[in-house]
Amino acid sequence: MNAKNPSEKQEEKVIDTTRQAVPYQTGNIPGPKMARAVMPAVPGKMLARAKRPLLIVGSKIDSEDVLARVVAMGKAGIQIASVGDSYKYLADKGLDAHYMNMHALASYLCDPQWPGLDGKGGYDLVVFFGITYYYASQAISALKNFSNIKVISIDKYYHPNADMSFGNLKQDVFIAALDEVIAQLPK
Amino acid sequence: MTLKKGSFVIEGLENVQINIGKVGAEEEEIAQGPTPRPEIIGLRDWDYRIIDRYNPVYTPTGDTCDFCTYGKCDLTGNKEGACGIDLEGQSARQALMVSIMGAACHSAHGRHLLNYLIKKYGEDFKIDVGPSNLQAPLTETIMGIQPKTIGDFRPVLDYVEEQLTQLIATTNTGQEGAARDFESKALHAGMLDLLGMEVADIIQISCLGFPKSDEKAPMAEIGMGILDPKKPVVICVGHNIAAPAYILDYMDKNGQFDKIEIAGLCCTAHDMTRYNKTAKIIGSMSKELKYIRSGIPDVLVTDEQCVRADILKEAQKLHIPVIATNEKITYGLPDRSNDSVDAIIDDLVSGKQPGVVLLDFEKIGELVPKLAMKMGPIRKAKGLTALPGDEEFKKLVTKCTKCLQCTRDCPQSLPISDAMAAAVNGDLSLFEILHDKCVGCGRCDYSCPADIPVLNVIEKASQRVIREEKGKMRIGRGQIGDPEIREEGRNLVLGTTPGVLAFVGCGNYPDGTKDVYDIVEEMIQRSYIIITSGCSAMDVGMFKDKDGKTLYERYPGRFVKGNLLNTGSCVSNAHIAATTIKVASIFAGRKTKGNWEEIADYVLNRVGAVGIAWGAYSQKAFAIGTGCNRLGIPVVTGPHGTKYRRAFIGKPYRKETWNVLDGRDGSVINIEPAPEHLMITAETKDELMPLLAKLCFRPSDNSLGRAIKLTHYIELSEKYLKKLPDDWHIYVRNEADLPVAKREQLMKLLGEKGWKIDWEKKKILEGPLRKVDVSFQPTNVPRLCKEVKK
Repeated sequence: MNAKNPSEKQEEKVIDTTRQAVPYQTGNIPGPKMARAVMPAVPGKMLARAKRPLLIVGSKIDSEDVLARVVAMGKAGIQIASVGDSYKYLADKGLDAHYMNMHALASYLCDPQWPGLDGKGGYDLVVFFGITYYYASQAISALKNFSNIKVISIDKYYHPNADMSFGNLKQDVFIAALDEVIAQLPK
Repeated sequence: MTLKKGSFVIEGLENVQINIGKVGAEEEEIAQGPTPRPEIIGLRDWDYRIIDRYNPVYTPTGDTCDFCTYGKCDLTGNKEGACGIDLEGQSARQALMVSIMGAACHSAHGRHLLNYLIKKYGEDFKIDVGPSNLQAPLTETIMGIQPKTIGDFRPVLDYVEEQLTQLIATTNTGQEGAARDFESKALHAGMLDLLGMEVADIIQISCLGFPKSDEKAPMAEIGMGILDPKKPVVICVGHNIAAPAYILDYMDKNGQFDKIEIAGLCCTAHDMTRYNKTAKIIGSMSKELKYIRSGIPDVLVTDEQCVRADILKEAQKLHIPVIATNEKITYGLPDRSNDSVDAIIDDLVSGKQPGVVLLDFEKIGELVPKLAMKMGPIRKAKGLTALPGDEEFKKLVTKCTKCLQCTRDCPQSLPISDAMAAAVNGDLSLFEILHDKCVGCGRCDYSCPADIPVLNVIEKASQRVIREEKGKMRIGRGQIGDPEIREEGRNLVLGTTPGVLAFVGCGNYPDGTKDVYDIVEEMIQRSYIIITSGCSAMDVGMFKDKDGKTLYERYPGRFVKGNLLNTGSCVSNAHIAATTIKVASIFAGRKTKGNWEEIADYVLNRVGAVGIAWGAYSQKAFAIGTGCNRLGIPVVTGPHGTKYRRAFIGKPYRKETWNVLDGRDGSVINIEPAPEHLMITAETKDELMPLLAKLCFRPSDNSLGRAIKLTHYIELSEKYLKKLPDDWHIYVRNEADLPVAKREQLMKLLGEKGWKIDWEKKKILEGPLRKVDVSFQPTNVPRLCKEVKK
């Protein structure tokens, strides 16, 4: 899969998403529990196996290559919470995407009574990328401390408040990592 | 013999009581509500009502607690620490502490001014804030008194200080443990903050000749490019007008305004222009480091609040003397208040001392202009600046290795290395863009492993745009006058004016200053009333349209729809909150004195006002927001606001939290989520605008008002998020609530959702949560119902 088109066959390339697993913003050190750095196959398989996964994307999905990966994941049947102003990029893509405020979403995900974005109940796995770094980090600190939901960052930055995260990645490695996640999803 | 305050009787005249102290105060001090001078749990029932609907949401920045020697304790996953507090409780305790800090700042500012102004003008100096009978709405509502003189504010600040001490005590390890009660106390601190601000601004408006509810206050110049750097330059930094007023008076008296440039940074600048319209404004706190490093200032005068901790260190490098005029910030400098002006000037000019503490205002007034006249020629002859020369600049940008460490340390994660690379090829445009987005913190300087002084490089590259940075801001007007409320109150409560949007707070914007301008322009064109204060008020005036006009020049400053008002400095925020009390009192005839709960209940259910602190950074901004929340006013911050660690977010899917009582008979009515949240963040300006429109909905809207509000909510969502809002229909109570231009289309969509519609008559028969009832009296307070239904 090349950087521009996730539907094409992926080129053979060994990537390691566990390097540089230190908080992207230098001072963002929350405490003794920080995310385990993982290879892309891990979130890919967890997404594929989850009963009720949710992908959260934010305002940083505007580049063509990243947006193509959001669409590919949405087409694979993963429901999308479109936070910030990201819905404007997804409006015409025919996805199961719902606008939601990230701060409110963090609150609702911690509430067992929340019926979800579609009224079908809460989620057992949250995966995210493309959200303003510190904003995502703060929002998921609520999930880390006040919910039992598994949270995985597949963003290009290491997110210590997630359960699992990629390290800090260069753009081409990030795109390749997303493709590896997508490769694990049901066709 | 000196008579002290108190009461006594004279022998033989046992029926006559002699009171020494305030004369005639008793009649005014009769409270009309049940909670004059509420103690720290005096409004807890109201707080619980708020918290039960708008649940505190905690987003900790750290998962440990290190307040006491038991710690550090790991509270991850809401575990308890050694003292028994869990992370929820600890987060709520932090919210309380942040609120206390903010409230203490504004109230201590008020105390400093009050002591000074009473000493100068006497405690019987009359309050005069403009054409208003309700001159001190917050004081009346909280204290149950109607102050007439500045001396009447003494017991008000006594009360604030005593309450803050009680609140601080609750934060000690082993005291309060329940998150819910920490939050109630945080709301109390927020309310005290509003009160402290009101005192500070009313007394300075009254005594110092500031504009008094003046919708036509003159314009002030603003921007980094407005000063003539060839003249001696005095820059005052902070929030307290006391010292700068003396400098301005001295310069005025000695005809020095054409010889010396004087301007302010942060809220001192606001109050300098309110005091003397000749003064100028450089900008917000974000400009402090940038402007000092430009080398343009010849003297720096600091007072209090929002003054960078490194000002002395930065100034010393460029031989800029610092005059610290307030006890709260003294930088380890010697107190020279008892020395002669000439002796102090000698020591500063020679560099023997980098700065002084000077607390004698008369001396400050004389010293600063004299010092500027001496320092100006010396410094300008040396060409002192921290910015690199052209050749050095070229060398510096080539040193960048693109390691991205600066980006990782930047609060905004700015793409600095891209700008460096472009500059190597002579393209400065990326740096010019960064200049507006950069908050001027200087963290990048420390992070660069190649020792590039990054901020200096950004500023050097941006000289062209800095020279053009010249805007206009209407000087702070102070309160909204009673006549304006009479004219506009009805429109607000019925919703035919879509809302009041108050842009307040600091400059820690997620994507630059221009966003605030863009948001205000969009919303004012939609006839919202826009009120500004503090750094946001400045930043709104920094940009111009194609005709070269700022928003302040394009829109008038009256409290009516489609107007743009600047109330003034940080402490003028009190007037924005107080405006909602005025609406409750003047338009609806609600009693104010000692009646917080009823007033706040009215505001929450009827007044479509929202605060926006898009760049909030300080504890003060959090306290202001929390105070507004207790008064029933929702607040939205930018994404950095999540680092305040607590929000109040409503859950529309929990129907039971959206019950109100009908004041006519106490019956329970399930309402639409209006307002949906009390404190929340948005990621971008495009997300913010529809959210603001939504947060202006109130249960009391009449159909015309609801249709207007719904129009803006839908249009803004379609414009910026490219979608019809998912929840638009829950705000529809009957067909008249639908926006006229989209009525057909929306009615069809309602039909698809299963609503029963009489298509011939174009009437909604079934579907809405509730019907429109023009007599509906929504309240969350059972005692306010005329007859409580069993």
